[in-house]
Amino acid sequence: MEKTMKKLSENILDKLSMDFLRNQVLKNAYGNDDTVIAKLDPRVLLVWYLFFGLVPWFSGNVVFLAGCFMLVMATTLLAKVAGLVLFLFILGVFSQTGYLLIVSLFFGGNATTILPLLILTLKVATVSLASITVFSGLDPDRLSDGLMWFGCPERLSFSISYAYRMLPMLMEEFQNVLLSYRLRGKAPESKGFVGKVKNLIYQVKIIMQSFYPLMLNTAKRSRTTVEALEMRGYRYAATNKEVKKMKLSSLKVTYDDLMFLAISFLWMAIVAVIMTYI
Amino acid sequence: MKREQLTQSQKLMVFVLTMSLYGLATLFTELIPKFQVGIVEFSVEYFLFIPLVLGMLFDPMSAALGAATGELVFSEIMLGQFGGLGEIEKFVTVTIGVYIAGRLVRNPKNQKMVGIAAMTGVVVQQFLGMVVDILKVQFAVEDFEAVAGLPQSVYATEGFAFLNDVLFSGILFCLLPTLFLVPKLYGKIEPLLGMQPRTPDTELSPIGVKTVLVCVVAFVFAIASEFLAENGFELISWEASWAESSGAISVGMLVAAVIAVVMLMVMKKKSEKVEVQN
Repeated sequence: MEKTMKKLSENILDKLSMDFLRNQVLKNAYGNDDTVIAKLDPRVLLVWYLFFGLVPWFSGNVVFLAGCFMLVMATTLLAKVAGLVLFLFILGVFSQTGYLLIVSLFFGGNATTILPLLILTLKVATVSLASITVFSGLDPDRLSDGLMWFGCPERLSFSISYAYRMLPMLMEEFQNVLLSYRLRGKAPESKGFVGKVKNLIYQVKIIMQSFYPLMLNTAKRSRTTVEALEMRGYRYAATNKEVKKMKLSSLKVTYDDLMFLAISFLWMAIVAVIMTYI
Repeated sequence: MKREQLTQSQKLMVFVLTMSLYGLATLFTELIPKFQVGIVEFSVEYFLFIPLVLGMLFDPMSAALGAATGELVFSEIMLGQFGGLGEIEKFVTVTIGVYIAGRLVRNPKNQKMVGIAAMTGVVVQQFLGMVVDILKVQFAVEDFEAVAGLPQSVYATEGFAFLNDVLFSGILFCLLPTLFLVPKLYGKIEPLLGMQPRTPDTELSPIGVKTVLVCVVAFVFAIASEFLAENGFELISWEASWAESSGAISVGMLVAAVIAVVMLMVMKKKSEKVEVQN
């Protein structure tokens, strides 16, 4: 009885974590279309991103970088990004530079090593937060429209829209396949070190094997998708200027967009003033 | 025997198939935490076996592009981890690795060749990635050579990561699953997309000088996007010089920004009033 209870709770835990991941990803993709950032024009945001995604790489000034960082942090908060994404961001930034710091100390570095690394961390953090703001904060459809306006290949904007629509289905299917594999097999006991290693190997093997049916299923689905697309003249429409114009007619720059740019500009001007008098 | 020519829509099918599968897999790897034992990192870094398998069975170019796009869209853009310039490098290296591996296999039934091709793909991709990573740190950190211990530490961490990825992820997550999946899928997955399986008669021509040349050019392009940083320094030093030479300009910028914000506010108020009156 106790054993079955334990198994049950283990199963629920397992499902919870998988579902948790799915929910977080979906929330990130679809959940926040009512924020200030999501309402902005995608083209304006992309131009904004071009500045904050590129310029920090080329600057070594700590004040300037800190100013950029504070601004993109504010916009990230405005975009109400899912917690998991922020967690991954923090983990990524600090594991990368923290690791470098430890190793360079090991090779005879000293306190002077910290400043360049701080600058590097600020650069990485600023650029990634700017991208989180734009790519996570924007609705996928609007994002792909914006990219298309700038002349990105039709393939890319198609891929974005397609990915956002298909992801929930794909994730569910993968989970189902995985669970059915687990049902059919008996996992090795995970007692002791050897058992744990065996269990891990078993889990990894199942994941690899479950890609076999998944590949076949997805192959069928992608054929259906492409045939449906062809039927509507997708490849012709993709290169047709008239169609593109119709698709992009919903984009409109409003005062809010200009305001967003102006406030960003104001902030950077303040930073520039501080930079001069420091 | 005439060579099998894929139609455009079949290429699109392969593209969509690889994109959704590899995208899903990279999404998981992005979410699964990596755990480190000492200096060895155990991570499911890599589900590269998916595009490798599909590249060997179908058109290599479509599979390679699909894989790179899938990774970009699913794990970078959807999770908001889009890193700007760095992604170009990843896109190009994945494309080259998968493409070369796919072109190497002339007969998917030949196990030895499949294995060699899978490892070649991984090594090429990882090596190019390592080179770019080292260059990236060199340009992001000013006075790279002057910082004590930094150059060695970067070479050591990157070199170690390369070996780790090739030996651990490469064999466990690329070689073994590829050897398992290619013979299993061969002849089964092709009809689902309405194609003939690849046989020695319908094989692609062997890798020629042209292919290698195109790969090299693409890689140089990827590095060039990182080399931009060098000119970028000049750009910023120019910018910094105007900022430092006279505080008047930066104050002027500040005033302009304030005026812009106020003007936009007034304009917005006015337009709202007009709307109400109407």
